[in-house]
Amino acid sequence: MSVRRSNMRLILWGLMLTAAVLVIPHLDVLFRLWLPDAREVIYRRDSFVSLLGNHLAIVTAAGLIATLLGVGAGIAVTRHWGKDFLPLVAQLASIGQTFPPVAVLALSVPALGFGTLPTIIALVLYGLLPIVRNTLAGLQGIDDDVMEAARGMGMSSLQRLWQVELPLSSDIILAGIRTSVTINIATAAIGSTIGAKTLGDPLIAGIVNGNGAYVIQGAIVIALLALCVDSLFERIGCALPSYDQGRI
Amino acid sequence: MQNHDTPTIALDGVTKRFGDECAVDDITLAVNHGELCVLVGTSGCGKSTTLRMINRLIEHSDGQIRIEGQQIRSFDPDQLRRRIGYAIQSTGLFPHWSVSRNIGLVPRLLKWPPDRIAARVSELMAMLDLDPETFSDKYPAQLSGGQAQRVGVARALAADPDVLLMDEPFGALDPITRESLQDELLHLQGQLKKTIVFVTHDMDEALKLADRIVVMRAGHIVQQGKPADLLARPADSFVESLLGGRDLGLKHASLVPVAMRMSALNGECLPDDESVLDTDSLRDALSVMLWRDTFRLLVRDVNGNPIGILHWRDAIRGDDA
Ligand SMILES: Nc1ncnc2c1ncn2[C@@H]1O[C@H](COP(=O)(O)OP(=O)(O)OP(=O)(O)O)[C@@H](O)[C@H]1O
Ligand SMILES: [Mg+2]
Repeated sequence: MSVRRSNMRLILWGLMLTAAVLVIPHLDVLFRLWLPDAREVIYRRDSFVSLLGNHLAIVTAAGLIATLLGVGAGIAVTRHWGKDFLPLVAQLASIGQTFPPVAVLALSVPALGFGTLPTIIALVLYGLLPIVRNTLAGLQGIDDDVMEAARGMGMSSLQRLWQVELPLSSDIILAGIRTSVTINIATAAIGSTIGAKTLGDPLIAGIVNGNGAYVIQGAIVIALLALCVDSLFERIGCALPSYDQGRI
Repeated sequence: MQNHDTPTIALDGVTKRFGDECAVDDITLAVNHGELCVLVGTSGCGKSTTLRMINRLIEHSDGQIRIEGQQIRSFDPDQLRRRIGYAIQSTGLFPHWSVSRNIGLVPRLLKWPPDRIAARVSELMAMLDLDPETFSDKYPAQLSGGQAQRVGVARALAADPDVLLMDEPFGALDPITRESLQDELLHLQGQLKKTIVFVTHDMDEALKLADRIVVMRAGHIVQQGKPADLLARPADSFVESLLGGRDLGLKHASLVPVAMRMSALNGECLPDDESVLDTDSLRDALSVMLWRDTFRLLVRDVNGNPIGILHWRDAIRGDDA
């Protein structure tokens, strides 16, 4: 996809998301038409703006930590000194993926308790897996001859990492982060069941009270947020060194 | 300047074991300054391993390797490699870097100022017949195999290393491109006088390029010497068959220029298309004779002037081998 088109997409979804959180609170009349008997048709316990902010903050924090840890672990086990741990980490990363996100949250409650912090920790743990997996795939997928040349020309191990390995695997690593964050946007919504304030609140409230309007409002904002973040990653992908040249 | 008694590259009883397997076994080899030394041998005999021990991509298990008299173990491996040019068959160009950035890699590692790097990169591109206008900003994926090889060689030469290691650098090319790159290498070598260790599978390439050929077999050196000496006196049937078996005569003829066997013109008149250059090899001349079904060829110099005549009798006599 061209840079221009991905810019357009990002701007479009960004505007839609902004519009949604600002406009939904004023759509009383509209939702009344659908649910004339409900006591309240707009979720007002918290503003959508603050829920969105909270949700984003939780996902971003978890995403940043998971990226640091995941990419760091992927790099560490592909170094000369860390290669003993490679099989273990690779296996954990692939087995972990088979865990459903809800189970991760459910299991984290007895271990970590309720609230925002346990939610973030659970998201980090779950979000780590695709990042580690893709970091490994990216680093191990680099042409051996390129690495041989990099060593043969006298690049130090740090120079090889920064100038060759990371740039050449950046697209695959980014895809891992994208998967991780996308999953976590959805998983964070479930976080409201364990006491984090997120865009999941209207969903849960709607389900508990049998109020379809709440559910719809929460779902729309979450979906738009997911689309927004997805196009953001696509735009970042266009700026990567491997975007123009492709891998050999 | 270096001492003329010290070989630029010296391997002394060098051995490399991978586990129990001995890939290189007790090799002793000295390559002098300005010499182009070609390693040949069947696949798996340890040529690449030998080469890669010299720049410490592989650490040798036993023996000593010296560059200009100093143990390579006394250098930091990265510093050592920046002093040694390295070109490989697959080029190993960085796909995310432009041609000029790829070529400028080692100078950048050596912290040359940017304008000096830029000047050097243009100089090398001109030297290797890569038009800077066209190629500077291309990426490796946009190059043909031959162009990529040139860039690989340019990158190896970038920081003007005294020593150059080349592992089948023209291996994956068609015969014509290959020959033109060989000619360019010889031309460059004539000017630059690097010390080169060159690995190849192609015996014609070895005979054409080498000041000295080193024949390896199963990790050992079986024979080494000047191309003509090897052809004249192969140490055993292995060397003989490696050098070409029944083609040996032709291979030998390819080392002798026509000028050495021609006689003066005595006013004979020979057809124009039955001519060779005085710098062509006897092999070329014999081929033309076979093709044209003739016993005599006109010999011309580079400017096209007739300067002699070659009789087939003179061509096939074997005295000045
Ligand atoms: N890193 C390694 N680990 C284990 N064995 C190796 C390694 N590198 C090379 N060998 C072995 O060492 C021997 C020599 O290999 P080398 O690559 O030097 O052969 P070569 O002469 O370059 O062959 P080719 O002409 O096919 O390139 C082979 O038997 C090979 O299997
Ligand atoms: Mg080899």
